[in-house]
Parts: sequence; structure tokens; C-alpha cells
Amino acid sequence: MSHVQSPVRGSPPSRGRRDPVRTTVRGLGELLLTAGLVVLLFVFYEAYVTDWTSAQKQRQATAKLDDTWRNGRGLVERPVHGAGIAKMYIPAFGPDFVFTVLQGTDQDVLAVGPGHYEGTAGPGQLGNFGVAGHRVGKGSPFNSLDLLASCDAIVVEAADHWYVYRVLPLQGESDGWAAGKGTQPQCRGVAPLPGHYANVVGKTIVLPNQVDVIAPVPGQPGRSPVNRLITLTTCNPQFSARERLIVHGVLVASYRKADGKRPVELTAGA
Amino acid sequence: MYSWIWRHLPGSRAVKLLEALLLVAAVVALLMLVAFPWVEPRLPFNDVTAG
Repeated sequence: MSHVQSPVRGSPPSRGRRDPVRTTVRGLGELLLTAGLVVLLFVFYEAYVTDWTSAQKQRQATAKLDDTWRNGRGLVERPVHGAGIAKMYIPAFGPDFVFTVLQGTDQDVLAVGPGHYEGTAGPGQLGNFGVAGHRVGKGSPFNSLDLLASCDAIVVEAADHWYVYRVLPLQGESDGWAAGKGTQPQCRGVAPLPGHYANVVGKTIVLPNQVDVIAPVPGQPGRSPVNRLITLTTCNPQFSARERLIVHGVLVASYRKADGKRPVELTAGA
Repeated sequence: MYSWIWRHLPGSRAVKLLEALLLVAAVVALLMLVAFPWVEPRLPFNDVTAG
């Protein structure tokens, strides 16, 4: 390209600085680009930055819970809102998957870690130990909940006991369970539940207002429980709050911590 | 908008560049530390509780 010297130096005709239409359109374009960048930045914040801040809070909560247990103050009738009550291990998500579960399910609590629905049973108790957790961001404790298979272990460490729950048979697995998957070693103690629990399967997707999934007998509020269940809830699909992903498990074993051994479910990685 | 800011930044080209980067960093920090934490609980896509 040949270089043409402009007769008036410093103000090439293409700049059009004084054209109001051009200025307005360019300003609008820049504004829209900026808005797009801000939205992208928000996605980055939601998916990564909240992880860093939550990891810090989760560490502090864990340290506090460890301290409470060391001093023998873990056994309280009504845990304080926001305080750590138990640790949750899901070996299927790797040996380093452990989160301190806190009392309560409001936003501030869930920013620290999974939260125990107040009013539902405690760890290992008769009824339904309900726990909510974030799927995306805030440490994403329940990011991969959809990958859990039946019989996968959910190990809960409370002040004085280890409780081992296992995911109930999934939809469609109940038929022929005893001769099929039920024969696998990790499925000992897991079977389709009878009676009023007949509709409780390992994994369901419900609407956000279906609060009865954390009822003592899931789906049947007001009925007295005869089983010890755990229920995990998170949002579904990822990045959306349109539905809730629900995982139900049943207690298959419990160990006194005083005996001093970690559950085989954790060491074997089953 | 951006060319207006660029024209009003004082100093040489290198100094201007530094100032522009600082401005960007300040805006990002404001968004990350103030704006996003405020707006996030008001958005509906990360509710995880039933009920």
C-alpha cells in the first residue's frame, strides 16, 4: 500500500470525530462489548472465584469442628446454626473428597460447605438426614452427584460415630435386584425398601418445590420413619435452578470412633 | 468511550498503557469484590435446596 501524505496533518478524514451518529454508534458498540465481557467475568467468578473463597471458609469450619471434637464437645442436642456438625466422605469421588457439613441451608451456610436441613434427622438417626450442597462454584461439593451409582458409599463422620450410607437402587434396578446387582459385595445391606418406602429410589430429579424428598419417609410427609436414610440435594441441571437432583441412601453400617479404626469403606475405596 | 478515556489519560504512551491497565484492574476488582457478591444471591440459578 502506498503511503499518501494527508494535506492536513494530524486529522485524517477517516477519524470523523465530530460526526455525532458515528460517535453514538461506536459508544453503543463499546458498551455492548463491555457488557458481554462483564457477563463472562461473572461466569468466571461464579465457577472459580467462589471456589477459592469457599475453600478458605471450609478450611476454617473444618478446623473448628476438629477442635470441638478434640475437646469432647461434639455431642450437642441442637447444633448451632452455621456450625460444623459432621464430615462427609464420598469415596467414589476420590480419596480426597471430604467436606465439613454445617447446620442450616441458607446461602451463607452453603457458601462454606454442604448444609444440614434443620429439622431433619441428624447423622445416623432414624428418619432422613437431609443435606444440600452447591453444584457449581462455592467448592462445588455436589458437582458430580449425578455420577453416583447405586451402592456407592456416602460416609458420614459425626462426633462419636462413623455412619456408612449407600445409595439405594436406582430407577429400574429394583426388578431382579436380589439376583442381579444386589449380589455385588459393595451392595451388602442395600435393597429396594419395602412398604411406604417403595417409591424411594437412589436418584431422582424433582421440581424445586418438592420439599417432601427430605421428609422422614421421602415423598410421604407426616409418616413415621422406620429406616435411617440420607438425602442429598443440589441444583439440576448444572448452571440452572430449574430442578433439583436428589440422591437417597440408606444406612448400612456404623462404627464407634472410640474403637479407633477408619471404616473399611474409606480405606478400600469401595 | 475507550478512545475518550485514552485521550484523557496523561503522560507518554507507556505511562498511558500502565494507567489503562490499572483502570481495568480496578474495575475487575470492583466487580469481583463488590458487585458480583451483591448480585449473586439475587440470581436464581444456584439454589440447591428443596422447598
